[in-house]
Amino acid sequence: MEWFNKWTNTLYNTFIVDDRYKTLITGFEKTILITLGALALGVVIGTIVAVIKVFADGNKKLRPLDFLCNIYLTIIRGTPVVVQLLISFFIIFVSSKDGTVVAIITFGVNSGAYVAETIRSGIMAVDSGQMEAGRALGFSKLRTMQYIILPQAFKNILPAIGNEMIALLKETSVAGYVAVMDITKAANQIKNTTYDHINPILLVALVYLALVMGLTKLLSVFERRLRKSER
Amino acid sequence: MNDNVIIRTEGLCKYYRGGAIRALDGVDVEIQKGEVVVVIGPSGSGKSTLLRSLNLLEIPTKGHIFFEDVDITNPKLDVNLYRRKMGMVFQHFNLFPHMTVLRNMTIAPIKLLKKTPEEAETKARELLKLVGLEDRAEAYPSQLSGGQKQRVAIVRSLCMEPDVMLFDEPTSALDPEMVGEVLDVMKNLAESGMTMAVVTHEMGFAREVATRVIFMDEGQIIEEGTPQEIFDNPQNPRTQSFLSKVL
Repeated sequence: MEWFNKWTNTLYNTFIVDDRYKTLITGFEKTILITLGALALGVVIGTIVAVIKVFADGNKKLRPLDFLCNIYLTIIRGTPVVVQLLISFFIIFVSSKDGTVVAIITFGVNSGAYVAETIRSGIMAVDSGQMEAGRALGFSKLRTMQYIILPQAFKNILPAIGNEMIALLKETSVAGYVAVMDITKAANQIKNTTYDHINPILLVALVYLALVMGLTKLLSVFERRLRKSER
Repeated sequence: MNDNVIIRTEGLCKYYRGGAIRALDGVDVEIQKGEVVVVIGPSGSGKSTLLRSLNLLEIPTKGHIFFEDVDITNPKLDVNLYRRKMGMVFQHFNLFPHMTVLRNMTIAPIKLLKKTPEEAETKARELLKLVGLEDRAEAYPSQLSGGQKQRVAIVRSLCMEPDVMLFDEPTSALDPEMVGEVLDVMKNLAESGMTMAVVTHEMGFAREVATRVIFMDEGQIIEEGTPQEIFDNPQNPRTQSFLSKVL
């Protein structure tokens, strides 16, 4: 039992003394906030890019926009997210005080590039008759996209979006690189002040693991409900 | 120009591969108010292309389409406004699978005609009753049989109160026992005075319901006339040969 008492003692010193667990809680909130914000931004950007790319297939007027989208995709997919974070913080948003917002924008813009291709494939998987039916009723191309194609496309790609969310959640752990106090950075800080090199890190690992498992479960429930219309 | 003409085409052509394939090769057709025009012909004759050109789902290579005297092939025109007045029924129904039957029917009137949801719903339920599907309003398309889907697709178009209805092989994807229920709905629609253009292989329907039959082959109109003229006394050898195979 001696080791157990010793361990709880260490835990007490590491997390409770000086209310250090509070840093972890704020860090946890920040991690969630960055993930959700980036995912939302990523889906919006990804949808816009995907729709432009799909429409540009048959419309010469959209070629310049399509070209811009390709540049965006190439740059984002061609550089590591940590480097993008550094560029964001120290070059683009150098005057910004709110690191969290900058992190959301950076991870969102990054995620958008990956989500775009997913959404595009989701759109392509919707039967072409759906576009025709929408157009035949008198909807414009864009409105048909909005009301008829995209809802079906999102249903097709929901598992992929869920995976993107899980990837994002873990990816945000590098936000500490630019002094954003997410949960990883918080754990690291506690580690440095208490010289407890084990417990903070393991705890953070457990938190990520629990979150990912929870998300996976939630996703499968949500997916089943969405499939209702396909019974 | 005659006020009764709803659709008129002038020298309509649709070429693929720079003219190597001529799906439509100079088609002049006129559809008057209240007519039921049935287009028949072998597969690849261009009859579906013709029908799909009428509401510009296919953009013709050459020629003009006048809808109620407006040249809708004019690229400056907002074709969406004219499509609202042309209902279209597809071979594969093309219902929106993520919406209930009712939503399928009300979304366009609500969004495009600015009807209130109540108005649109009342109208939709009335139409569903007419085709015997009033108890399926809350169902999703996947819960319907093929014949039910096509009946919903027909009333979905009718919700927009179109001036003309285009049918692109509406019974070709149906199991044989469901063909009758869809043709009955179309027959009732024709009797109610709706202007219709129908591409079909149902010669019985053509003979019974059509006011005019058009026979097409190789992108051209070969012969047209009343069902009696076409079916009982075809003049052109190609019409004769086609009919001898299908009747």
